[in-house]
Amino acid sequence: MIEYIKGYLSSGTTPGEAGNMFWATVYILLVITGVSVAVLCMNWLERKILAHMQIRLGPMRVGPHGLLQPFADALKLLIKEDIIPHDADKFVFWSAPVVVTMTAFTTFLVVPFGRTHAVTDMNIGVLFMLGVSSLGVLGIIMAGWSSNSHYPLMGSLRSSAQMVSYEIAMGLAIVSAVLMTSLQTGTGTLSMIGIVESQAAQHTWFIFKFFPLGFIAFAVFAIAMVAETNRAPFDLPEAESELVAGFHTEYSGFRWSLFFLAEYSAMLAVSSIAVTLWLGGWMRPFPNWLGGTAWDMAFSFLPALTFFVLAAGCFLGTIRMPKIPQFRVQTIGLGTFAALLGFVGLVLLVPGVRVRIQDIYWFVVKVAFFMYLYIWYRGTFPRYRFDQLMKVGWKVLLPTGLGVLIATAIWGLMPQLSAAILGVLQ
Amino acid sequence: MKLNPLLRKIFLVDLVKGLKVTFHYQPPSEAITEQYPLERPVIFERFRGQPRLNVNPDTGESLCIVCNLCALACPEQLIVVKGERNPATKRKEVVSWTYDLSRCMFCGLCEEACSTDALELTQDYEMALYTREGMVLDQAALERGQEPEKYAK
Repeated sequence: MIEYIKGYLSSGTTPGEAGNMFWATVYILLVITGVSVAVLCMNWLERKILAHMQIRLGPMRVGPHGLLQPFADALKLLIKEDIIPHDADKFVFWSAPVVVTMTAFTTFLVVPFGRTHAVTDMNIGVLFMLGVSSLGVLGIIMAGWSSNSHYPLMGSLRSSAQMVSYEIAMGLAIVSAVLMTSLQTGTGTLSMIGIVESQAAQHTWFIFKFFPLGFIAFAVFAIAMVAETNRAPFDLPEAESELVAGFHTEYSGFRWSLFFLAEYSAMLAVSSIAVTLWLGGWMRPFPNWLGGTAWDMAFSFLPALTFFVLAAGCFLGTIRMPKIPQFRVQTIGLGTFAALLGFVGLVLLVPGVRVRIQDIYWFVVKVAFFMYLYIWYRGTFPRYRFDQLMKVGWKVLLPTGLGVLIATAIWGLMPQLSAAILGVLQ
Repeated sequence: MKLNPLLRKIFLVDLVKGLKVTFHYQPPSEAITEQYPLERPVIFERFRGQPRLNVNPDTGESLCIVCNLCALACPEQLIVVKGERNPATKRKEVVSWTYDLSRCMFCGLCEEACSTDALELTQDYEMALYTREGMVLDQAALERGQEPEKYAK
C-alpha cells in the first residue's frame, strides 16, 4: 500500500495522464477541500485587511482576533431559515446556486498547482477554463430571473452584460499569451501545464516576454478578471447602494453561502489563470538568475519559513493578549494555533515533503498575491458607473487587447518577416 | 511632477496613488476602533452624562434649595421639583424630586441654572436600563447615582 503510494508519487504524472481514476478522485477531493478552506481563509482575511485599510479592527470577538469568525458565519448560514419567494420559479431558483458553484469548482480540474499536482492535463486547458467559468453567467441570470423580483433581475442583467463584454478583452489577452508559447519554439499549446513548461523552456515568465507586450496583455487580463468576477470596483451587479444585493437579493441561508463560495472560488480560478499564463505558474522566482542546487536548496526552505513567521506572529499575539480571566480561553486558543502553524512548518522541513511542496507553495503564494490585490482594490476604489464600465471594457480594454495580440504576432514572426522582406528586396 | 493627462490615465497614476493611501493605513496600530468593554473611552472634562444631586459632604444634607430654576430651564420639562418650607429652619426642603432620564438630551441647561451647584451632570455614561420606568430618577437615585442593573434571563 505504502509502496504503491510512494511509487505513484514519484511517477511524475498527473492522475489524468496516468488514466488513474482513484488518484483523480483523491486529487479532486483534495482540490475541493483546499479551495473551500482557501475561501474560509479569504473570508477572514478580506474582512480583516479591508477593516485595517479603513482604519477599523474588523472581527475581534469570535476567537482570538476573530479567527473563528468564518466558522461562526458558516454555522449561522447553515442553520438559517431557507426562504424561497412565493412567486419564484422554484426549480430554477433551486438550481441557480448549484450551477454557479459547480462551474466555479469545475474550473479547478485543469489548474496546475505543480507539474504533477493537477487533476488532469487537458490539451485545451485554457479554453476549458474560460468556457466553464463563462457558464457562471448562466447561473447568475437564472438566479436573477427566477427570483421574480426587480433588484435581482436588474443585477443579473448588469452582470451578464458586464461579464460578456469583459470576456472578449480577457480572451484576447489570453490568446496573446498562448501565442507566446508557440512563437520561437513552434510548439503552441493551450494546456495549462504546457504553458508553464513553455515559460520554463523560454527562460522567462510571459509577463516579461516581449516587454512591454506581455505586461500590457497581463494588465488587460488583470483588469478584465476583476470585472469578470464582479468584484469592486466593478461590482455593479451587487451594487449595495442601488440594487440591495443584486442577483442574490432573494437568496438566504445555505443557497446564499453557495453564491459566496462560488464568487470566491471564481476569484481563485481567474487568479490561477493569470498566474499560470503570465507569472510562471508553479515556478519559483529567479530560476535563471539565482539558479543552481544551492539556491534551489535555499528556496526550498521558504515554505517552512513562511509558516514559522506566521507562527511567530501568532505567538506574539498570544503574549500581547490582555491578561484577564475572560481572555484565558482565547489566549490558549491562539497559543495552540501558533503551535499548530509551527508544527506545519516543521513538517515542511522534512526533505521529501520539502521538495514535493515547492511548486504548490509558489503557486499558492502567487495566487494569494492576486487575492490581496482584490481586497486592496475593494478597499480603495469607488464603484464605476455602468456606462463607464462599458466604456472601459469596449473602448479601452478591447482595442488594447487586439493591439497587443497583433503586436505580439508581428514581434514573434519578426525573423521570418524580415527574411521575407529581404527576399523580396533582393 | 506634472504628467500629461493622457499619460496619467494610461499609467493609472491616480489609481496607484489611491492604492498607496490605503496601503499605508494598514498597520493595526492605525485603527481608531475602541474595544469598549475592555478599553474605557477617554471622557473629556466637560462631558455631560448621568445627572447627580450633590449633598453636603459634611452633613449629608441635600444642597438643593428647591428654587425650581432647573425645572424652568429644562427645555424638555423633565425635571419636577416639589418642596415645602420647613417652619423650624425657615428653609425649603425637598419633598419629591424626579428627573426623567429617558427624555433628557444632556444639554446641561439645568446644571447651569442651578444656583447652589446641587445638580450636576457627571461623566458617567453607562445608563442603559431594561425598563422605561427605571429611567425616572428620584432624589435617592440622583444622590447615590444609578446602580448598574444585573443582567438576568
